[in-house]
Amino acid sequence: MSDHKERLDQSLSALMDGEATDMELHRLLKEVSEGSELRDKWKRYHMVSSALKGDAAITPIDYSAAISAAIDEEPSHRQSALAGFVGSAGRFAIAASVALVAVLGVQQLNSPLDSVAPVSEFAGIEQVDEENVGPAIQFPSGFQPIINARTVSAGGNNKSSQFVTPVIEVRQQAERNYSEAQLRAYMNDVMARHSNHAALNSNQGMLPFARLNEAEAAAEKE
Amino acid sequence: MVFLSFVKKIKVAALVAAVLLHGPLFAAQMESAHDLISKMAKASRELNYQGLFTYEYRGNLTSVKLTHAVQDGQIYERMQHMDGVQRNALRRTDNVDCLRTGDMLLRGSAYRLNDQSYARLEDFYEFHIKGQGRIANRQVVMIHVLPKDKHRYGYVVAIDKESGLLLQSVLMSHTGKPLERFQFVDIQIGGSMAELGFDSEASDFSDVALDQGNCIDSNSQITTSASRWSTQWMPPGFVMASHKLVDNQGQESMMFTDGLAVFSVFIDIDKARSLPAIEANLGATVAVLTKAEINNQEYAICVVGEIPRATASQIASAISMSSPPPPSSPASSSPSPSPLTSKSPLP
Repeated sequence: MSDHKERLDQSLSALMDGEATDMELHRLLKEVSEGSELRDKWKRYHMVSSALKGDAAITPIDYSAAISAAIDEEPSHRQSALAGFVGSAGRFAIAASVALVAVLGVQQLNSPLDSVAPVSEFAGIEQVDEENVGPAIQFPSGFQPIINARTVSAGGNNKSSQFVTPVIEVRQQAERNYSEAQLRAYMNDVMARHSNHAALNSNQGMLPFARLNEAEAAAEKE
Repeated sequence: MVFLSFVKKIKVAALVAAVLLHGPLFAAQMESAHDLISKMAKASRELNYQGLFTYEYRGNLTSVKLTHAVQDGQIYERMQHMDGVQRNALRRTDNVDCLRTGDMLLRGSAYRLNDQSYARLEDFYEFHIKGQGRIANRQVVMIHVLPKDKHRYGYVVAIDKESGLLLQSVLMSHTGKPLERFQFVDIQIGGSMAELGFDSEASDFSDVALDQGNCIDSNSQITTSASRWSTQWMPPGFVMASHKLVDNQGQESMMFTDGLAVFSVFIDIDKARSLPAIEANLGATVAVLTKAEINNQEYAICVVGEIPRATASQIASAISMSSPPPPSSPASSSPSPSPLTSKSPLP
């Protein structure tokens, strides 16, 4: 039973992420129509999602009961002679329309920029570029190869400082016939010049200088 | 069948309701998303303000106090880092009316690329108003700026309703993940030079070199001094906003912008031999360094900017010398304009 429940929870998460299969959706709809526990959970997930997205109005009112009551009130929905067959067909049709709404809703939730929740997502560590491939080499502090950099920037437990070490990530393929200090100085220099360019031209005023700080700080750690 | 038609009616009603609810929003967004962006570009230059903002990327956070004032047509700015090593930056810009390429693009003026074509921000980004919010205890309008191609990133920006100031700017990857974020946590708008503490720094400011140059008027192209370098490929919409000839360090630089995104190209001669072909990134800033050999002279070409890594690589490998000196070796006898043997770090 608990195994079943766990699977339903997973299906529900998948549905919220827009990744539920048809099977999962059917199972969820069936379960929702039978018990209120899952329905409450579904509702909570949506409220959390709305809150994260910063939607102003989160309605804690559950219309579903009222709506199904209203549907039952409809004369045409009253159980009649045809009850058996038509009744179940009607339920199926309603379920299908709910499914459609659910799918549409979920799709809307998941269009790339709609699902933006910078506040929560920044807590996680983002691989900056998806196409990260190729060997990385070890640099002293400041520069970090991509794999280790994730640990460093995530941890924030740098013993020498209460601040997270700014990280410049480096991927390279040439043989090492250069000085790392030189390379670091060069990178910091071009990033500083770029920030200066950007501050004059990107309409963010001095904001790009905040990036520059990171480069300088990385250099000063030496 | 009765039930099916009933369900159909519900669906139609729901659709009608959805359209009615969203219709006015669509209309509003048509007329004002881009206007707000233009207003923002103006406000952040011309107003006096002081505020605290945070800069954040991948778990790193810096907080900065920013003060901005305009007096006698000059822009005074002070930036103080509130954590880590004590650090202040002062900047003085000569002329509040000096518009640069980025300003022109952002203000929605068509910017002349050459005699035939014009660059417009709307050709490369979509602007959507995504509702309202509250940032730094002020009412803001949230705008999603979506790139129309893969060569630039998108933004989520929050613009102060009252003043038009930019209070939040989140750089978004193509998968909708935030790459970096600027956000004010507190801001006061208005205040005199004295109130903002600039008077006591008069002598400091007199030591600061004026940032000026590259001002353009609405009709003219920026006068870029003739460069030996040209690009075989440029992401659409990017125009050159400044160009510095070779300095005494042997470095030449060019800056390009599409109005929102900015990248710089550095070409080094002296340092070329000691540098490897490499890719690095710091937060959302990517740097792609490639090596090129032209007429037995080695060059290091570095593209730095808040643009996707693939785009930076593509730009770096597309840079060549526009009018190469007469070939002095068989290796450089390939026809102009691609005399480069580019050693890109990407296979």
